Amino acid sequence: MISVENLTKDFVDPDGTVRHVLKGIDYSVEKGEKIVIVGPSGSGKSTFLRCLNLLERPTSGKVIFDNEVINKKGVNIDLIRTRMGMVFQNFNLFNNLTIMDNLTIAPIKVKNLSKEAAEEKAVSLLKRVNLLDKANVYPSSLSGGQKQRIAIIRAMCMDPEVILFDEPTSALDPEMVGEVLDFMKALAEQGMTMVVVTHEMGFAREVGTKVLFMDEGKILEENTPNEFFNNPQSPRLQDFLSKVL
Amino acid sequence: MFSELARKFTAAFITENRWQLYIKGLGVTLEVSIFAAIIGILLGTVLALMKLSEREDGKKSILNTIATVYVDIIRGTPSVLQLLIMWFIVFSTFNNGIIVSSISFGLNSAAYVSEIVRAGILAVDRGQTEAGRSIGMSKAMTMRYIVLPQALKNIIPPLGNEFITLLKETAIVGYVSLTDLTRAANMIASRTYEAFMPLIGAAVIYFVVIKLLTILLAHVERRLRASDKR
Repeated sequence: MISVENLTKDFVDPDGTVRHVLKGIDYSVEKGEKIVIVGPSGSGKSTFLRCLNLLERPTSGKVIFDNEVINKKGVNIDLIRTRMGMVFQNFNLFNNLTIMDNLTIAPIKVKNLSKEAAEEKAVSLLKRVNLLDKANVYPSSLSGGQKQRIAIIRAMCMDPEVILFDEPTSALDPEMVGEVLDFMKALAEQGMTMVVVTHEMGFAREVGTKVLFMDEGKILEENTPNEFFNNPQSPRLQDFLSKVL
Repeated sequence: MFSELARKFTAAFITENRWQLYIKGLGVTLEVSIFAAIIGILLGTVLALMKLSEREDGKKSILNTIATVYVDIIRGTPSVLQLLIMWFIVFSTFNNGIIVSSISFGLNSAAYVSEIVRAGILAVDRGQTEAGRSIGMSKAMTMRYIVLPQALKNIIPPLGNEFITLLKETAIVGYVSLTDLTRAANMIASRTYEAFMPLIGAAVIYFVVIKLLTILLAHVERRLRASDKR
């Protein structure tokens, strides 16, 4: 469904030094998979994820979605992104819009859905996350956990084929992590294709169909959760797991 | 002593209905300021968007360069000179001082407004743009529905200051033979050989108008901030 071929990404710092953040990644995500990416900070996990929907433009290599190379000239990336949702660490709800407008603006303006149809869908999703009573408030009055659940259903309102999660629980107070992970689990069980960058090893073990370990811009190891956690191959992963588990 | 002041006051404001000249002058001042502000805001916003435009590879776009050069030139030359160039060179065959002055001040103000708008837009969290783009909204849509409404809160207070500056700067339109408030006062001063009353009078009028504007602005600012707490 999404695959990358020899993907690299360099960042140029203001002082002119070039940092090689991704050093040639090949990977393929199939429909229905839940790929969980773990690794130390600065390993390139988030950059990799952000390259998948081209929020970051790769320096070289290919990003292929639905058999089409999307990082080349002439591709309508807006159209691709309607099929690829994204959830951010800092929620990024639209601060100037009510929750209902947050959920319906893209379906109405981008997919040309009628207001009624968009709101009907939003209401049913709000019910699923038990936040229907928040439909007409602004994001600033929600807790972090509530914001993140809204952010997830905002992505779902576009009926995406895959959702990318960029450390969705890292900015949450500890007691709110559970409510977000629970909803992500429910989403996974429903069959959504997911690519999740996270530090939640429990989630990786429980929900992942594959777990990837990234370090210094490369995928060092890839395995089923069971093998990944119980039988890590590389010394780097063994070291990492011994610190986080 | 008192009768002397009363005589000067009468000469400056009452005789020959001279007070009408101040009112007319103020009218010209406001007219030029308001037209210029409209041009400044519209063109300034366009310039700001040009400055913020970047190519897909992150390099400067040609639009960016054009806007930067424009702002540099405007900021690097005196506004009196810009006005004279407009009047005697660019629009030399056109003798409507109000329109030429409005255009000249509008083009001038746009340069400053563009920096205000640009800073206001940049102050909106980058995550807002990323969220808009990630859900399939185009650059323009994200700007219009998400970023600009939030930027407005940052933009309106300094924009008010810019308007106040503009209002006072128009005092130089006398150079292109417009009779604004300053020139009206000056004319009366030379007519009556008494500078004190007309000049202080004009200063008081400017002061009152700007004070009223300041109060209005403070009110708007309070309301903008109140909506943060919703």
